[in-house]
Amino acid sequence: MALSGIQIYKMLPQTNCKECGFPTCLAFSMKLAAKQVELDDCPYVTEESKEQLAESSAPPIRLVTLAGPDRETAAGNEVVLFRHEKKFFNRPGVFVRVVDTEDTAAITEKVAAASAYTVDYVGIDLNLDGIAVEGASGDPAAFAAAVGAAREATGLPFMLVSDDPAVMEAGWKAVEGEKPLLMGANSSNWEAMVDLAKQAEAPLGVVGETLEELAELTQKIQEAGVEDMVLQPAPTAMGASLAMQTQIRRLALKNFRPLGYPTVAFASDSGDPAKEATLAAHAICKYAGFVVVDSFAPEFVYPILVLRENIYTDPQKPIQVLPAVYEINDPKPSDPVLVTTNFSITYFSVANEVEGSGLPAWLVVTDAEGMSVLTAWAAGKFDAEVIAKAVKEFGVGDKVEKKVIVLPGHTAVLSGELEEELPGWDVKVGPREAVDLPGYLKTVLA
Amino acid sequence: MSIEIPVDKWPGTVNTVTLGATEADGGTRAKVVTIGGEQSLPFMHFETEMPHSPVIALEMTPSRTDDWSQILLDAWGDVVEDPARWAAAIEAAGADVIVVTFGLTDPAGDPITPDYAVSTVKAVLEASGLPLVVLGPGQADVDNELIVPVADSTKGERLVLGLCEDGNYRTIVASAMANDHLVVGRTPMDVNLAKQLNILMTDMGLPLDRIVMDPTTGGLGYGIEYGYSVMERLRLAALQGDAMTQLPMLVTPGYEAWRTKEAKVGEGVPETWGDWADRGVHWETLTAVSLVEAGADVVVLRHPESLKRVREAIDELMTAAPA
Amino acid sequence: MAEYNVRFASHPEPIGVPAGTLLVDAAREASIEVQQPCGGQGRCGRCAVQVDSGAVRRRSVLRLSPADVEAGFALACQTVVEGDVSITVPPPEVIERRLVTDHIAPEAALPDGYDAAESQSIRRVELQLTPPSMDDQTDDWGRLCTALRQATGIEHMETSLEQIRGLGPILRNSDWHVALTFDRGRNGSPRLIRVQPAAEALEAPLCGLAIDVGTTTVSVWLVDLLTGNVTRQASQYNQQIARGEDVISRIIYASKGDGGSELRDLVVGTINEMVDTMCARAKIEPADIVKATVSGNSTMMHLLLGIPPESIRLEPFITPINHLPRVPASEVGIAMNRDGVVDPLPGVASYVGADITAGVFASGLRESPDTTLFIDVGTNGEIVFGSSEWMVTCACSAGPAFEGAGVIHGMRANTGAIEEVWIDGSTHEPSLRVIGNAAPRGICGSGLIALIAEMFLTGVLDKAGNINQTLETPRVRRGLHGAEYVVAWAEEAEGNEDIVITRVDIDNLLRAKAAIYAGFKVLADRVGVPLEMAEHVLIGGSFGKYINVEKAIDIGLLPDMAWDRFEFLGNTSVKGAYLALIDQAVRDEIASIASDMTYIELSADNSFYEAFTSALFLPHTDLSLFPSVEAAMT
Repeated sequence: MALSGIQIYKMLPQTNCKECGFPTCLAFSMKLAAKQVELDDCPYVTEESKEQLAESSAPPIRLVTLAGPDRETAAGNEVVLFRHEKKFFNRPGVFVRVVDTEDTAAITEKVAAASAYTVDYVGIDLNLDGIAVEGASGDPAAFAAAVGAAREATGLPFMLVSDDPAVMEAGWKAVEGEKPLLMGANSSNWEAMVDLAKQAEAPLGVVGETLEELAELTQKIQEAGVEDMVLQPAPTAMGASLAMQTQIRRLALKNFRPLGYPTVAFASDSGDPAKEATLAAHAICKYAGFVVVDSFAPEFVYPILVLRENIYTDPQKPIQVLPAVYEINDPKPSDPVLVTTNFSITYFSVANEVEGSGLPAWLVVTDAEGMSVLTAWAAGKFDAEVIAKAVKEFGVGDKVEKKVIVLPGHTAVLSGELEEELPGWDVKVGPREAVDLPGYLKTVLA
Repeated sequence: MSIEIPVDKWPGTVNTVTLGATEADGGTRAKVVTIGGEQSLPFMHFETEMPHSPVIALEMTPSRTDDWSQILLDAWGDVVEDPARWAAAIEAAGADVIVVTFGLTDPAGDPITPDYAVSTVKAVLEASGLPLVVLGPGQADVDNELIVPVADSTKGERLVLGLCEDGNYRTIVASAMANDHLVVGRTPMDVNLAKQLNILMTDMGLPLDRIVMDPTTGGLGYGIEYGYSVMERLRLAALQGDAMTQLPMLVTPGYEAWRTKEAKVGEGVPETWGDWADRGVHWETLTAVSLVEAGADVVVLRHPESLKRVREAIDELMTAAPA
Repeated sequence: MAEYNVRFASHPEPIGVPAGTLLVDAAREASIEVQQPCGGQGRCGRCAVQVDSGAVRRRSVLRLSPADVEAGFALACQTVVEGDVSITVPPPEVIERRLVTDHIAPEAALPDGYDAAESQSIRRVELQLTPPSMDDQTDDWGRLCTALRQATGIEHMETSLEQIRGLGPILRNSDWHVALTFDRGRNGSPRLIRVQPAAEALEAPLCGLAIDVGTTTVSVWLVDLLTGNVTRQASQYNQQIARGEDVISRIIYASKGDGGSELRDLVVGTINEMVDTMCARAKIEPADIVKATVSGNSTMMHLLLGIPPESIRLEPFITPINHLPRVPASEVGIAMNRDGVVDPLPGVASYVGADITAGVFASGLRESPDTTLFIDVGTNGEIVFGSSEWMVTCACSAGPAFEGAGVIHGMRANTGAIEEVWIDGSTHEPSLRVIGNAAPRGICGSGLIALIAEMFLTGVLDKAGNINQTLETPRVRRGLHGAEYVVAWAEEAEGNEDIVITRVDIDNLLRAKAAIYAGFKVLADRVGVPLEMAEHVLIGGSFGKYINVEKAIDIGLLPDMAWDRFEFLGNTSVKGAYLALIDQAVRDEIASIASDMTYIELSADNSFYEAFTSALFLPHTDLSLFPSVEAAMT
């Protein structure tokens, strides 16, 4: 049961000593209730309070990290069922699969391409996170060769997929010293797999048809000395996997330790890129810690990586629209330029009013970290310099001939400075409220 | 080991809403579509049966299609020039519902008239037996001017009329009430605003089972996460028993996806974006599937291939265990 | 159908009416006037009558307390005759008094058992110095210090050069018999303020100032330090307004060129104008004023003292200083004794300043174990939630709408301001109460609150604040800013235009009330104590001297609680400054309030925005939070 700020406050020294970095004990308590600080930051907390408070702070889902020579990827540490409740923390690693029955040249080529893939999304470089090598041949040597070929082409972390301990052993030895995911232990092979995982000091993937099967396995494996595990619910059809992924997450959040591990979803088994894309989207939305895909094509990977980025953004930040110049009602070079901030409601109210007026305009949306016009102006995030920078960055001057720019009425005070920042522009002050924009556009600017 | 699966028992139920009316019920539809009725989060079949599958609508416009991506126009071919044929093609493609969205002008570029709106809607009703959603261009005055005569001349069809927004809902709600239609209310990605509009519309006396809500979504890469979370929160509130959020949700991933640069534009974009046509369909499909996961009851799409993919995903999600 | 007799106390003959007749209709038969500002909808309570005997059925008792009903009161518009009855129609003022929702701020009073000499930091002592001689070669200053030590035990005293310069002549001219005024100081050595000949000092006044520097209004109280009583009060617009209406504009202005010193001169000028007038009227000299305590929001405090406030508005919103030291008056420029002490009270954070710490003290929140909500409504709404054990605070930008600014016909609560409105539910015609019974000039904060509440409850506004343009009344029309409602026609108003409220005004007011309610909600949520737990709601700030709690609840500005939990305190900032001036212990307590208060920055996450949009509705998106309003709507 999560404690409120006041409940925690009552267990603290209440001296306002400020040594934790917060001005009062109550401020610290509220941060602690929101899980934004560690209890250890309080130098004077009693052992008794520590014990009482410790329980609410242990992470319910174990953090599991995979490592290759160049990169790491981690899953786990999630604390909620719905992103709006707090946020989803660790983006699910997207792994591209190769199979050891393909020839090594094909493997190298696919792995190299996947590994090199990077795409810019709003200034963020999106990449794939790892390579899954599947041992379909059943031949240890072939698997080792495939793993080796893949490793030559990339430094990304690996997921080694085989239920044959002999094959798995040959595979991990090819990348000894790394931290691949050994995928998979099941109820018949788990003892041998545990031995391998211990030798490799690598996390172990655990496959099960049912929750019971998974939980029994993880307990046995944990008792045998392996702590890092990743769960693979065997059902892959969307309805069944959604149910099982949801149940695992719910149980984990209720501190049911045998299922307190991240999960992996294999979208790769569908054999159809179209289907695979929807499976991957499904897995990203609903709780997978790792997603394996078979296809690798930019038009397929790009939307999946963007979806992952979106679902894992911090929902506690204000809702923002992308800073850009927006075209409303098909504006021509002779039409005016309006300016506002990127707080979504601010944007919507301005855009809707202009759209509703039927009059064309260019709407420059500046990056104000999701603040409304007045708030951003107050905090110095919407001033002449910021506006001028946006106008230049978005190339607005090349889109228009008349160069009329309209400031929100509340920031009339900026007009002088903006004229200095934007020589050649006619700076006008618009109405204070968005509802008055259509009238303004029709009368003042007409 | 036996594990007790945590089961949520919710006090609230999403309203059941039927779109369209057959002859027996005062309309002309060959088929009606019923949505809503959920007593659990989407596809939690182990808790309660999901009484109605999410449905898929395809959108068409009897106005100029200048702002439609070339990929879409290629996919539909010349039917886009004739609303009746377009509607028939949509039915043939397997949609459950047709969405007719008017722009500000007719195909010739002249301002749209109420007469044109009425005759177009009638032509679509004749060409297809599916339930219809009819939306104005989203400008209060024009919407009211077009939607009222459409409502009057199609009494009893249980069309879904829109767009109702917080500053402009009275006229459309009144004409829906007078003519046995439904309405859709749209609010910009905010739980409170969605709820507020529902309160305003029901305050006028429109029964809750004749309203669907469009909480608005962003397209993939353009704010989908906000729409996604708003929908999840609305659905959670509905299940917790908040009557003013217990409305089935309609969202427009087709519109949102196809206005993104990724789907709309084929030239002068980074190579790392890959093949344009495939990318566009993925963009729409992924947007739609994510929103279905978040609780959408109606997804409005634009590309027939996306419909196939989203349909397959919904069918799979509706299946509790592999057959 | 049965017929019954209704007998009115003021009417000779009983009136015969059928069973089920409303009392108000029976009264009309008897030509007796019963006031019905709400149009007989049972909302305003002003038609209450007393049923002396007989059977009636009350459909609704809204606005009546159980004690009222017990005493026989009934709403004439909601009560039907079910037997022979006798009725008294009380005079309107009796009813007004019974409707306890109107709150008037109390005046300042000295604390019980107050002892001026004991409590104050200022002391004046009479000293008889031993004259110097050839044998006793002690210097003048040393001689003074020795006398002081002998009289009071004080070992060291600080002073200014000016005092030293004047010392010799005063000592000699007074025959070494002087009165010495000094400030005892906090944790430090005392400071000499004034040396006067004892004979003169016995007659001389000893005065102090309590000053509240508001963004819009500056208030100054002149205090007789000998008794602790307030002798004069004055308020005036802050002359800085000409350089920007809100704190942000002022901060930006201060950061450019000589802006800072200009603003400083303006506010010092504002204070000094009032002080000069008060001195003249009270027949005292500025030199008689030896101490001033100052409160105000953090920006105003910084500007008054000439400390650059720029960092207040920029992330992470840090003030240069919260706990300001005492400074000599000559450094500040206030028209008082140059060696007098200016004591700026401490603040908590950039947007929770000394006005709030002083206000919290004045409100008594800190004294009581009861959970209490304190709000100071100004251009910023500052909120404190807590008790003697804990306190959290936040500031929300409400805008100046409740001060009458930013609203087309808004004004301050002066003569001619509409301060109360009722609207008839069927005709949508308003009745107004105007300050000073004058022709209306505009609408002040309390009038705006009443207006929105009445428009909402009578269906002129929908819950989103849209004006219902389908109503058939000439009062609703389309104006320059969209739909508007005419509150007073030009003919009845002073001035030659209609007094209206527009859609834009309504949006402004809704945003202001939503920001304040959202502040309540977030504070309560963050600390994990439900708002309903507040046993008292204390209101300070710029609502003038009056607020109608009921209507503030109707629009969702104040939480829906029993009216007796609300208390209206007026300007708590200047009151706190006054109490700190006359009592050293209060000053210490205010410092500890400033240290103990936990400030919550609302912009740190989305919760404020959520609460805000939720409150941006009449009365609130979650109607279950406002059960009394729900009842009034049906």
